[in-house]
Amino acid sequence: MNPNNAHQQTGLALRGIRVLDFTWIHAGPSATRILSDQGAEVIKVESNNALSVIGGPASATARGLGQRHNWNAGKLSISLNMKNPQGIDIARRLVAVSDVVAENFSGRVMPSWGLDYESIRAINPSLIMLSMSGFGRTGPWKDRVSYGQTLQAWSGFTELTGFPDTDPSGPASAYSDAVGGMAGAQAVLLALMHRARTGRGQWLDVSQFESLTSLLETLALDMSANGANAVSSRTGNRLPYGGGAPHGAYRCQGEDRWVAITVFTDEEWRDFVEVIGSPKWAEETRFATSDARQHNADALDVLVESWTGRHTAEDVMNRLQAVGVAAGVVQTGEDLSRDPQLKEQGFFRRVPDHRGEYRTIESAPYKLSRTPGSVTRGAPEFAGDMTYVLRELLGMSDDEVEDCAINGAFD
Amino acid sequence: MTTPDERSNLQPGRPLSGYRVLDLAGPMGVYCGKLMADMGADVIKVEPPGGDPMRDIGPFIDGRPGPGRSLYWLHFNTNKRSVTLDIDSSDGAATLRKLAFDCDVLLETGPPGYMDSLGLGYESLAADSPGLVYCSITPFGQTGPYRDFKASDLVGFAMGGYMYVTGWPHTPPTRLWGSQAYHTASNRAYIAILLALYHRMATGEGQYIDVAMQEAVAATTEHVNTTYNYTGESAMRCGFRHGGQFVATWRCRDGYASITTNTRAAWDDLRAWMDRDGMAGDLMDAQYDDHFVLRGEHSAHIEGLIQAWAMLHTRQEITEFGQSSHHPWGPAATPDEILENEQLWGRGYFTEVESPTGPSLVYPGDPYRLSGFPHPVRRTAPFPGEHNGEVLSGIR
Repeated sequence: MNPNNAHQQTGLALRGIRVLDFTWIHAGPSATRILSDQGAEVIKVESNNALSVIGGPASATARGLGQRHNWNAGKLSISLNMKNPQGIDIARRLVAVSDVVAENFSGRVMPSWGLDYESIRAINPSLIMLSMSGFGRTGPWKDRVSYGQTLQAWSGFTELTGFPDTDPSGPASAYSDAVGGMAGAQAVLLALMHRARTGRGQWLDVSQFESLTSLLETLALDMSANGANAVSSRTGNRLPYGGGAPHGAYRCQGEDRWVAITVFTDEEWRDFVEVIGSPKWAEETRFATSDARQHNADALDVLVESWTGRHTAEDVMNRLQAVGVAAGVVQTGEDLSRDPQLKEQGFFRRVPDHRGEYRTIESAPYKLSRTPGSVTRGAPEFAGDMTYVLRELLGMSDDEVEDCAINGAFD
Repeated sequence: MTTPDERSNLQPGRPLSGYRVLDLAGPMGVYCGKLMADMGADVIKVEPPGGDPMRDIGPFIDGRPGPGRSLYWLHFNTNKRSVTLDIDSSDGAATLRKLAFDCDVLLETGPPGYMDSLGLGYESLAADSPGLVYCSITPFGQTGPYRDFKASDLVGFAMGGYMYVTGWPHTPPTRLWGSQAYHTASNRAYIAILLALYHRMATGEGQYIDVAMQEAVAATTEHVNTTYNYTGESAMRCGFRHGGQFVATWRCRDGYASITTNTRAAWDDLRAWMDRDGMAGDLMDAQYDDHFVLRGEHSAHIEGLIQAWAMLHTRQEITEFGQSSHHPWGPAATPDEILENEQLWGRGYFTEVESPTGPSLVYPGDPYRLSGFPHPVRRTAPFPGEHNGEVLSGIR
């Protein structure tokens, strides 16, 4: 099979691929946006019953509106009442003309609509079904429910993140959902390649718990090899297995302003010392070698901060970068919006929504020279693509559409 | 050159079987190479003579550095083959060029301009191999005012906007466990490589991919950018709270547990349980009926009551109570509990593999399951130059 024969020259790797997208909230929609950016036609199946969830069509807050656009830019939207037999029938007809079905419901929802993988395969044998869930659809915990933040706790990230003398912590945003989104997109792309080689579709049972756990690096190996001697507690901003000092975030001039600095080699240390004005303390033997600096990192951090505190974070970054020492502002949302490098990359993009109002969204964070992808509009209007999907795609007649509407199939 | 389909006929199996990858990546891209190797690609790790510096990264078996003892190396280089090659020499560069001719993907993390300076940049290699997918991961990208800036994982995490929102308000911004800025760059690069390979299946065309760690991280922060762009406020770190007080982790009798109260039902269930324990204070009053009260002026009062109550219960009790009502409550697990997790073992995620230098090690599995494939670890990480003979024979 030739994946996109008709659309070779469009600059879009996934032109010609259709995704029937039942996903909601964050992880699922961020997976399908990755596909949409590269030209896949993503049809969001939405419902009047879930208008105001975060990222939903009627997100109640300004931030929710932002998520709506950021996760759903470029997609189409239809409304289907999946409690209505005609609504389900339309979904089944869409399965027949799609390449991918994506969903992140709890395990009982798709089967209750007759849309479990076996049923879907009976309709469309080469279809790829992406199921994203907290713990996967098999195993003793398949029915447990989770959010991104609870998965971070459950996987050990929370326990391991933070300083030794504070409570465990984590990010204010759901890393787990972002990871799940990337994993979901990767799984679909691998399955599309597999399909192109073999003609076969498949079911992708993505456990976000496993996706996140796979980023714990060597934790399982360390514990199985070293037992009680494995590093299994919080180490703040220092690397758990050693590897340099200073290594942390240092307070700078201003309100809650910080710079991240990492020094590994002796050469970097010499350059660092010169930039901070070659203070007397830097000559002390307790800082003479990398091992010594790591051993005395508490004292070193205080001294480093006595210098950074007299400068702005931007100034520290620029002065250290000028001599090749890795340093960077601990950037806030506001900093990112003004970052000259991200501006150069075109990371933030202004695209019109269905009313013609311009919305700021993020671009795909990679540049492909031949298939750069494209995102030209914000999130769809709720149910804004009924005519295209029902009339053009499914070839339904006016009468048929009206009959479905009267019977509540779109409610 | 041979094609992936020709190669995979010899060795059928996983989705990337038959694809051949030249992996010149350091820590910023090592996970990307692992993802390809674990999915079946023939990933050739190119090391400098004497071995890759990543072999010296801990942790180590028994805490002692030495050949074959770096668990970092053993983890990130499963299923790869190794050749040693000094690409800074003209002989070595010429050999790499010949190797690239029979590869589908080249992955590298050198500073911008470095590969060009060796005559191994994309334009140069693509002239011989138009189908080559060539991916460069750098801290800040190939162009722009920061292109020559240096960055470690921590600096990438900071500049991408994730560090500021991680940790507690009263502590410095904090690193997430693991080198997550590096791995986010790798995850994004892997997506881009798969897109390019899919495009190549249709057209035969390769292409160049430019991935910047900073941008990769900035695109992974969930609401940091949308919060600022749509409200004008910068999101703040908040310990283990998420999205206000609706998902929070509390100290309990034997550790910490997450409790969600973002629905009226969950809030009512929590209040009622606290009341049964005689610990609800005035929370059963009608003024607290709406769960949005958790974000209002009484939040400190309510949090104080929840925290005092939580100390009565274990993580298990809180988890079972929440899950029985379909609320996503759960424990903050400790590392030894992860290693014993019945769901991870139950789904075949972990597997025990003999290490070449000693103990049997527990390896994690794939980040997602494709139908019908076994556990990804087919071969443990290679010794330096272990495959010099078979890979380089006939090339020099």
